[in-house]
Amino acid sequence: MSDLHREIKELIIDALGLEDISVEDIGDDQTLFGEGLGLDSVDALELGLAIQKKYGIKIDADAKDTRNHFTNVASLAAFVTAKQAA
Amino acid sequence: MSVINFNIAQWRAWAPGLESVDDWQAWSRQPVVLEPSDAAPDVSFLPAMQRRRLSRLARMAFSVGWPLADGRQDLPLVFISRHGETPRTFEILSDLATDQPLSPTQFSLSVHNAVIGLWSIMRGETSEMTALAAAGDGLEHGMLEAAALLDEGAPAVLLVVTEEQPPAAYSAWIDDVPFPYAVGLLITPGNQWQLSLNSTSQALSKAHWPHALNLLRTLLGQQTTCQHAWKNRLWTWQRNL
Repeated sequence: MSDLHREIKELIIDALGLEDISVEDIGDDQTLFGEGLGLDSVDALELGLAIQKKYGIKIDADAKDTRNHFTNVASLAAFVTAKQAA
Repeated sequence: MSVINFNIAQWRAWAPGLESVDDWQAWSRQPVVLEPSDAAPDVSFLPAMQRRRLSRLARMAFSVGWPLADGRQDLPLVFISRHGETPRTFEILSDLATDQPLSPTQFSLSVHNAVIGLWSIMRGETSEMTALAAAGDGLEHGMLEAAALLDEGAPAVLLVVTEEQPPAAYSAWIDDVPFPYAVGLLITPGNQWQLSLNSTSQALSKAHWPHALNLLRTLLGQQTTCQHAWKNRLWTWQRNL
């Protein structure tokens, strides 16, 4: 698990109040929303806000790629890395 | 004078350190203001993914209401809180004051009927539910609502009164929450209790404890009546033995 992957998992747990889950319980490629971890639409908004705050990046809620970036921890890490490099 | 009749079939109450009937009996005999505490009631009967967003106020409401609703379907709910989710409101206002974006979770759960919405989702309950914020006599206004639901044919009505300790910033305005608490009453048709309202021309002195806690003391003690005055409204609870 890379540092960024671990950091994003910790962010998910803290921001969404997943009290019974640890970073080891979230797979890098595990689906976050609906199936998989079972997060919902309020979680999506909350996580988007947490990512924007922590990494100082802008997320366009209407952009068609945004949904893909939030698929799993690996895609979020790639998105954060790309945005920070830009 | 207006009068309603009903039975209090069961009750539950929670405050930090006060959970069992014995705890409440001891408190009723010698009521004191509890020490400030972050303790929250156990709601492990809810799945972790469902309970994670519940504030203490919601946890208090669920902890007293859930056992009373056990095995009952089509149970209307009257939720009463004068001040509601003051900690969430305060956090939202603090974010606004510092130009921070608002938490969608805080925002969506700060409204007064959020608890009854969660209750409906988690129990699959579609009966009528009401969230009231009356003045200091919210308990009695909630009882009127419950009596109206019984009159419409509901076999039972669940009434939950709860207040959260407000953030310190509100202490100059909120002086009627000695400590966080929740009281749940399962109300059924009957004549064991009578609640009557009289109006007076002048303001009467207020009850020392919140009405729901005062009523608990009557429920647990030997008295058959208790009176709660708010402004010019005098409510008399009478137990028929």
